[in-house]
Amino acid sequence: MNIEAIGKIEVGNHTTATFGGWTFNLDTIWSSLAAAVVILLLGLWMRRKLTSGVPSGIQLTWESAVSTIENQVEQSMGLRTAPFVVPLAVALFFFILIANWIEIIPTHEKFVAPTSDANTTYALAILVIVLMHIVSVRRNGPGNYVKHYFRPSPILFPINLIEELVKPFTLALRLFGNIFSGTILIALIGLFPYWLLWAPTALWKSFDMFIGLIQAFIFALLTILYFSFQLQTEEGH
Amino acid sequence: MAVSDHAVTLAGAFIGGGLALGGGAVGAGIGDGMAGSATIAGVARQPEAQGRLFSIFFLTVGLVEAMYFINLAFMALFVFVLA
Repeated sequence: MNIEAIGKIEVGNHTTATFGGWTFNLDTIWSSLAAAVVILLLGLWMRRKLTSGVPSGIQLTWESAVSTIENQVEQSMGLRTAPFVVPLAVALFFFILIANWIEIIPTHEKFVAPTSDANTTYALAILVIVLMHIVSVRRNGPGNYVKHYFRPSPILFPINLIEELVKPFTLALRLFGNIFSGTILIALIGLFPYWLLWAPTALWKSFDMFIGLIQAFIFALLTILYFSFQLQTEEGH
Repeated sequence: MAVSDHAVTLAGAFIGGGLALGGGAVGAGIGDGMAGSATIAGVARQPEAQGRLFSIFFLTVGLVEAMYFINLAFMALFVFVLA
């Protein structure tokens, strides 16, 4: 293993295209599109095999995911409070799952996981947080929304404010850090001599798949929990 | 002996990155250990709850490791971008 080669690992390089002063990371964009297409195909395939008899494998996968998320929503805030959270959480879970798992395919830097680019994770986190605030204002009214920051005691207002400001950052950086470190380690493992390469690669890639699954689940779960914190005000929070 | 500004920046970035990784690893290790010990205690009291406890355990591990990975992202920022 060449020590100098470690210094030559480049991280965060994307094929870019500039348009109107904006720089687009093309490889992130086409990986995201590929993940979206995979999910659409899975959904359409399930629809073809939809049956109320003995369910097929694909139907079981979708049904178990949807029912897990429905149970979680029911536990946090009751399914009738915000039924739109279920499709949002399911979509986020599957998109992030497929996006994280794209990393496993060895394509020599042409197909990288879109979630290893901080832009994707920030976009997902901003989507969730902005939606959460809008729904909270519309559901509880602006007065109650502001009063929410002064519960349970007005002294906690700075802490509540900081918590709300930090939420999008932790949501985005948690996912980004997990997957980005996976890409760094895959690059590092690539420096091993070829006859030794397969063992750490197999180990690390299976661990990376597991981490991708957990992070997708955590993102969906935290989405549900954040919505439940905001919409819980009716119960005398 | 004059040291260039770039060398100082590079040294600072490496040290900062190392501190971020070290502190993060200590915190993540302690957090995962506490979650694991609670899971083991729970399973010892009630072996039927193993499935439910495991999923909560993995959830906690994911959240704890998130702090470490956020630190890792900042290390990458310091080492690769700022220096």
